[in-house]
Order: sequence, then structure tokens, then C-alpha cells
Amino acid sequence: MRIRAERDDLGDVFARANRAVGARAALPVLQGLLCEVTGSTLRVTGTDLEMTVRTQCDVEVMEEGRALIPGKLLENAVRRMPSGPVTISAGDTDVEILGRGPRFSVRPLSIDDYPTLDDSTIEGTDVDGDALASAIGQVTVAASTDAARPILTGVLFETTDQGVRLVATDSYRLAVKDLPGVGLSGQGLIPARGLRELPRTVGASKVSVGIDTREGVFASDRGSLRLRMIEGTFPKYQSLLPDSYPNEIVVDKEGLLEALNRVALVAEDHIPVRLTLQDGGIEIAVTRQDVGGETEHLPGEYSGAEASVLIAFNPRYLADGVGAIAGDEVRIRVIDGLKPSVIDSKDDPEFLYLLMPVRI
Amino acid sequence: MFAEPILHVDMDAFFVEVERLRSPKLRGIPVVVGGAGPRSVVAAASYEAREFGIHSAMPMVEARRRCPGIVIVPPDHDEYSRASGIVFEVLRGFTPLVEPVSIDEAFLDVSGLRLHYASAAAVAMGIRSAIRERVDLPASVGIATTKFVAKLASEEAKPDGLFVVTLEGCQVFLDALPVTKMWGVGAATAAALARIGVATVADLRSCGERVLGRELGPSLAGHLLALATGIDPRPVVPESDAKSVSVEETFETDLTTGSEIASVLRGQADKVGRRLRRAGLRGRTITVKIRYTDFRTITRSETLGNDTDVGAVIGEVASRLAASAWTESAPVRLLGVGASNLVGADEPIQLTVAGDDRRRSLDAALDDLADRFGGDIVDRASKIVNDPRSRGH
Repeated sequence: MRIRAERDDLGDVFARANRAVGARAALPVLQGLLCEVTGSTLRVTGTDLEMTVRTQCDVEVMEEGRALIPGKLLENAVRRMPSGPVTISAGDTDVEILGRGPRFSVRPLSIDDYPTLDDSTIEGTDVDGDALASAIGQVTVAASTDAARPILTGVLFETTDQGVRLVATDSYRLAVKDLPGVGLSGQGLIPARGLRELPRTVGASKVSVGIDTREGVFASDRGSLRLRMIEGTFPKYQSLLPDSYPNEIVVDKEGLLEALNRVALVAEDHIPVRLTLQDGGIEIAVTRQDVGGETEHLPGEYSGAEASVLIAFNPRYLADGVGAIAGDEVRIRVIDGLKPSVIDSKDDPEFLYLLMPVRI
Repeated sequence: MFAEPILHVDMDAFFVEVERLRSPKLRGIPVVVGGAGPRSVVAAASYEAREFGIHSAMPMVEARRRCPGIVIVPPDHDEYSRASGIVFEVLRGFTPLVEPVSIDEAFLDVSGLRLHYASAAAVAMGIRSAIRERVDLPASVGIATTKFVAKLASEEAKPDGLFVVTLEGCQVFLDALPVTKMWGVGAATAAALARIGVATVADLRSCGERVLGRELGPSLAGHLLALATGIDPRPVVPESDAKSVSVEETFETDLTTGSEIASVLRGQADKVGRRLRRAGLRGRTITVKIRYTDFRTITRSETLGNDTDVGAVIGEVASRLAASAWTESAPVRLLGVGASNLVGADEPIQLTVAGDDRRRSLDAALDDLADRFGGDIVDRASKIVNDPRSRGH
């Protein structure tokens, strides 16, 4: 194969496909990007077997063909070229990457050892790409990164009467986002790690979403992102959502985030932040033995059955939830210091973040 | 009078003496505590047994060879920890500065008692008689200016005695000791020292820092020279800071399957959970220890997002760690589970949506049964089904 294209166009397709190439690939061939040239198109594929990214761009084709090229080196070599056209020529034993002056010679990987990837299509539904990306960003903060509990590392895509609902939990918090009016053909548990890559791989204003029992496929004019579904049963989360909350407070979102940033200076790991919700606002306090503490008052509108409620949270979990809210103000609804609290906003009625307190 | 404020209290043949409280017929004869299987080792030996050259950690087979008529008592760890609890209660009645070394051994810093006692030796006498009174067990006490010397002094005190190494007499006492008694001198270091003609602490001191440093490296040389001159800056660090809670077991028959290993680990995890709960602690780091028949030993640990005292949670982590570390089908001789990175149970705890409440109430029920009927009364069905020792019943 032999092609030529602008440095930045090539750098872009390689970078996007590389999102699926793990730093420590299970098989050496998985460190490679599969480059296939037909007609006037370069198709680039990267995979770690759980996540597969396919992208393409139009190039000047001198010779069709395929090659498996070490992904990180290919991307970086292209990006470091002087701006202008870059030529890539792949033979059996050598890949030449030629800029205006510099010339890389790279050993290709064995294309025969590359796994055969499922290329079948799944019936997809067109979704507003920006809304989807922001919904994914909102719920994935609550997903676990602990590979030991695979079910909690996924986002549940669930069809509801109104549309589709995305849910994630790491067992300490739970995020729920509704996308009304979206009808998907399938539902299931999709790895959060792969979903987070959506904007950087195939993100576009319109994205087609197809889900079957094996895979979730996100496709746009920029390519496709295929994620292997997680097997297992997602926790029955509906019963966790309290029916009513006797106490609630509405505060300025940025103000609360800034306060939590100050709290974080003192409260590394596991030091809970104490919130006293009462008329006039929230008293925020954190103390850490051997270090010190911080206190402040954040004004807000309180209404509650109790004159005041004391509740403590992991400050990072709280900041994750507040940060995920779209809108200028957030509402914190509290039952008591031991029951789940819910954070949401009237500006973003389709999203809620349930957070378990820290018992103090 | 209080120039030597550090006490090392060491119970004499502790397990044996506890057994003798229950069966007086064990008095005055060679007795060891330990299992009776082919792999068992001596957990404790009475002084009469030690006359035969029997000591703890010796294979039981060897102990039997040395003293064919020896009485072997199976260990009852619940009883030992109960007795130990009382001993430590007595010690803490004298001073809060009690640093447990093991179930039957502790360092005390009694300098705070200078107004109440004429000397540290008087405190030691008080401790020995208080232990006698409460549990009727013999304890030896070493008294010195540092932990290192106090520990050596308690060896001199044994059995059932008291030994003071005064500030003035310390150097003479140390000089006469073989270097192998020093903390930090193992077989390799002892051999290196022997090569340059160092056998006693006096030899070591006369050697000088440069020669020693060349032989042992500067940091070990500095450490040994400091100890040799009676310098040991380690303070007595009082309890409340148990570093870890762990359970391990050597098997009569090697384990060879993943399911056997997993079920043993779950049982051990339940015990670790129970001990944590009894001690009012939770752990954040879970460790698994695997020893193969060739004595190759590996440990793997994982630090959790949040601390736990739930047996099922500890068991899940332990099984997972073992599954990734175990060399498939390699026979396993010993398994252990531990929790470290401990915090008090009254420290804040992150609650979960799923609620570990159900698992907590299971644990509470198991605790209750274990308290009433003993530690082995209930077990997980998976363990009973998989336990090779239960087959054929």
C-alpha cells in the first residue's frame, strides 16, 4: 500500500483509532493499527478486543493494500512531521513514513495474526450526538473503575416509556439520565471506559446507536465505535430512589464546587465533608487530624421538616455529582444522615445523582 | 531508680500454661501444644519438653522422636486469646504505654509511674503478681533502658522471673552476648561477622565502624554498633494501632484445585472479618498469602476504595487475588488472608446503595453463634462441600 495525505488528516485518524489501543495490549498485534486502502479511502482500525474503533479518511492512493503498523509510533511519527503532506508506503518487511525531509522506517506487525473483527451491522437509531455525549459524560462519573466488579464498570442503556435511560453506579453513588424521545432497538450494559471515548473517536452531531446482545455500536460519518456488552444483571436501582425527601436546599452550583475545591485541600482520601443544611444555607466543615480544617458558609434556600440536617459525604463523590449537573443551581435533597441523598437541578430535570452519605 | 523504664513482659510457655490451668495433670511433664498431623509444628513447648531440645516451630514428628512419651495438646486459640486479653488488661492497668509484640509478649514504658513506685523493678513485681492473681499464669519481665536490652533481659529472667539490666551494667551485659542475639543479625550477617572474627558484642564494638561498614554495608553496621552500645531509639508504641489482622493455615493435605483454595479463603476471610469486628476495626488493604509445597511463598494485596469488616467482601477480594496469583494446579501448603491499613469502627464509613446491610446482618448472626458455641460452629456451605477434610463423612 502507498498513500499520501495531509499530516493533520492522517494524525487525526490515527489518534482516534489509537483510543482503542491499550498501553499494555493482551497480544502484541493489538498494539498495531490496521490500515486498509481501497479506492480513495484509508480505513484505520484499532482494537483491544473489548473496544474497536474504525475510522477513515480520503487520501491520495498510489497503491491499494493493507498493513498492520505499531499504533503509537505511527501516530507520533506522523504528528512530529513538518506540516504538509506525508507519504506512507508499506511493504512486507518495512513501512516508510515520509515527510518533507524526515523519513521513518518502521517494522510492520504480522497482519496474519490480527484477529478477525466482527464487521456485521446492527440496526441503529440516529441520536443527537451532542446530547448523547453529554449524557454519557454525566453518568460515567458514577461508574466503577474496579475491574473486579465488571457489572459496575458499565452504563446500563435501558428503554423506557419515554425514551432511553442511562444508569451507572459504583455502589456508592448512582447516576441516572433520561434521553426522552429516543427509541433504541436494544438495551444492555455497555462498558463506561469505552463510552467515554465516544467524543474523541466518532463524536459528531448525529450518531447512530445500535445495541444487541453482544455489542453496542456507535457510528457516525467519522467511523464507528464498537463496544462489547458486559454480561450480567445490573443492580435493581429503581427501589433505591427514595419516594420523598423531607429536607432540601438549593444552592449556586459554581459556589458549591469552589467550596468543595477548598475542602479538597484539607480532605484527601476518605475524610468526609460535613454539611449542615439549615435556613440561610449550608455550613460546610472538614477537619483532618494532624492537618487542620476548613469551614465556610454557602448561602442557599432551605426548606425542611427539620430545623437543620447534618450529613457527611466523600467530598470527591459529592464534587463529581455537582460537577455533572447541567445548570446554574443545584438542589440537594436529604432524608437523614444515613439514607441516600439526591442531587439534581431544575435546569436539568432529566438527570439525577444519588449519593450515599458517609456515616460519622 | 527509674533510669531503666522499659519493661519486656513475656509469658512463659504461654499456650502450655493456659492448658495446664484447665488440666492440672499436665503440670511437671513434657507437654507441647500443636496439631498431630504429619505437617504440624510445635506451637509451644513446656520447659520440661525444652529439656529434650524441643522448641516451638519444630516439626511435631521431630518432637516425638526426641521425646517419645510427650503429651501433645491440640491448640485452642480462642482460649489463648481470652487469656491474653486478660493479661493485656492487667498490663494496661499499670500504664497505657503498652506495645503488644504478640499474643503473649509486650513492651511497656513505665516512666510515668515514677511517683508511685520506688523503681521499675517494683512495677515489674507488681505486674507479675497481678497476672498471677488474675489468671494464675507465670510471666517473666526484663527491665532495661531500651526495648532491645529489655527483650534480652526477659530471656535471662525466664522462667517465671525478673531481670534488670541497669544503665551502668548495660555495657558489660551486652559485651558478653553472642552477636546472634542482636536484632538484625541473621544467618548471613552472622557468617559475615564470623569471617572477620566477630563472635560477641564486645568483638563487634572493638571492630570499629569502617571495618564493619566494609563488611556489612554502612547502614547495617551503624545499626549494629548503636545496639552494641545500648542505643535503641525505638519508642514504646501503644496499641490501638494493631497493624493487621490475619489468619493462616498449613494444610495436612496440599490443596490442588481452585475451588478448594477459594473455599478455604472464604472461611479465613470470615474469621478475619470476625476478628476485625471484635477488635472494633475495619481494614482497607486485603492480603493473600500462598505457600507452595516447595516453600515458595507469594503475597498479593489490594487496597479497596473503602474499608470493610464484612467477611464476604474480604473473601471476594481474597479469592480474586489468589485466582490471579496462583500457578494453576501447583500444590498449596499454606494459605492466609489478612486485613491491614486498619481504622477504628467508629471512624466514618462510606455507605453503599446496595447496602452491605444484608451481609452485615449475616456476619452479626455468625458472630453471635461463634460467641455462643465456638468459632467452628457454622461455616459456609461452599466450604464444607469443598473441604477435603470433610469428605467421606
